[in-house]
Amino acid sequence: MPDAVRQRPAAIEAVPVRHVGRWVAAVVVLAIAAEIVYTLATAPNLKWSVVSHYLTHRLILQGIVTTLELTVLSMLIGIVLGVVLAVMRLSPNPVVSWVSWIYIWFFRGTPVLVQIFLWFNLALVLPFIGVGIPFTSIHWQANTNTLIAPFMAATLGLGFNEAAYMAEIVRAGIISVEHGQTEAAQALGMTRLLLMRRIVLPQAMRVIIPPTGNETISMLKTTSLAFVAAVPELFTRSQQIASATFEIIELAFVASIWYLAMTSILTVGQYYLERYFARGAQRGLPPTPIQRFRRMLVTFHAPPPVPEELPVRLERPH
Amino acid sequence: MVKAEAVHKSFGRLEVLRGIDLEVAPKEVMCIIGPSGSGKSTFLRCINHLEKIDAGRLSVDGELVGYKQRGDKLYELPDAEVCKKRSEIGMVFQRFNLFPHMTALDNVIEAPMRVKRENRAVASERARTLLERVGLGDKVNVYPNHLSGGQQQRVAIARALAMQPKLMLFDEPTSALDPELVGDVLDVMRGLADDGMTMVVVTHEMGFAREVGDSLVFMDGGVIVEAGKPRDVLANPQQERTRSFLSKVL
Repeated sequence: MPDAVRQRPAAIEAVPVRHVGRWVAAVVVLAIAAEIVYTLATAPNLKWSVVSHYLTHRLILQGIVTTLELTVLSMLIGIVLGVVLAVMRLSPNPVVSWVSWIYIWFFRGTPVLVQIFLWFNLALVLPFIGVGIPFTSIHWQANTNTLIAPFMAATLGLGFNEAAYMAEIVRAGIISVEHGQTEAAQALGMTRLLLMRRIVLPQAMRVIIPPTGNETISMLKTTSLAFVAAVPELFTRSQQIASATFEIIELAFVASIWYLAMTSILTVGQYYLERYFARGAQRGLPPTPIQRFRRMLVTFHAPPPVPEELPVRLERPH
Repeated sequence: MVKAEAVHKSFGRLEVLRGIDLEVAPKEVMCIIGPSGSGKSTFLRCINHLEKIDAGRLSVDGELVGYKQRGDKLYELPDAEVCKKRSEIGMVFQRFNLFPHMTALDNVIEAPMRVKRENRAVASERARTLLERVGLGDKVNVYPNHLSGGQQQRVAIARALAMQPKLMLFDEPTSALDPELVGDVLDVMRGLADDGMTMVVVTHEMGFAREVGDSLVFMDGGVIVEAGKPRDVLANPQQERTRSFLSKVL
């Protein structure tokens, strides 16, 4: 082709447009932000020395541990029960499907604060809890107040509530997997449970993980509601100290700083989890923030969104 | 191997199959052609019970599909047995349906390991041989998304063969492929036929049907319009409907 041999013309060099509006907007935003920071930093009634003193106070640190325990346990209950409820919801058995629907309806339809409160006060209705096999002497029972201590009440309240939301998230994930996958697995002789576990759920993960990360971050903060059950988690601890020292705002700041730090860590964790479950779905894994940062240092600008690998070469028929 | 007698199937009020009678002998390659909506894919899916038939009798290897007969009564098969029957029939889909979260090798060994409980070494050994055979010995550890359509379909064939089926069903295996990739897949299928695999192939590849097929069935409107030797049907169709279909596709 004669066109192909023509010389490439010189690259275009032109005077860039001046984005005056962008500069003005940036200055205004920065000014407002600086003003807010300055006001907070110099507020006469906000004692930053108190904030930094209590930031690593023993009671606060203990509270953090309790908060993390609550978060992990409630999310575990939520995820496991959520998967079960989602699979039940999609079951061909109408009774099983309906039970799941009613569970979700109830636990999603009542406030989690009220649910924790109910678990905490369960002893008022059922002083004893027991299990046994009818018409036999096999029976076991315990005092409700010892069985469901404050920590347990909060865990159950948060976990059972979370399960309802997780069920919907998992269900959406399962539905998002192409039906052909189920058919291919069935054609290979896989049973419903096996193909759910090996084929559908792993693919649903890509859809399930991001909202689950959000739920975990949200749960970390929601654990502060365990306050009503007098569970000594981060917020309860900070309020206990505040009620003794009357440094209410300072201790609310202490709690906020810790919540913010923990949610930040979770956000990073979520990123890597999403990256892991993206395997097979994308041609190359997206770069990690560290990889991106390194490349930025080398090139002095953000990397362009090019795929890591060259597109797959189509093969020729032989 | 496959025997159908007056097979009927409806989706709601739409009658898709309106009495299919045919028989596939062991080692036979039967090609089914016909316009879209003629019921050929549905019939194929009935053979491994992905669809339930409403009336008639359908059997594979002398056993009813999805039912058991005792006396003059039919009993539905429990899920576990339906799964077992399916595991003896390989199926290849138009859209490949490879498992995207698994490498080519893992796709192939999944069912032998989980359904037949073979150990990994045995399953992997056979999987490598099969992938070699379909010309993908160098793609063992590649994820499906990194493969071309033709390569994916060949992995899908290897995956079905890994269960050592007695019958292979192909549902328009080349319809979703770029024209230049069709040949590789058809070559693999031709090799299978030469090895004596019993195959039922729904296809639009008239060349393949003529050269590889032992019999050809033309379906339209949920019935078999014409059947016979591929050469006869393609070169000298007896029915007006067959003639007009062939004049459009050939």
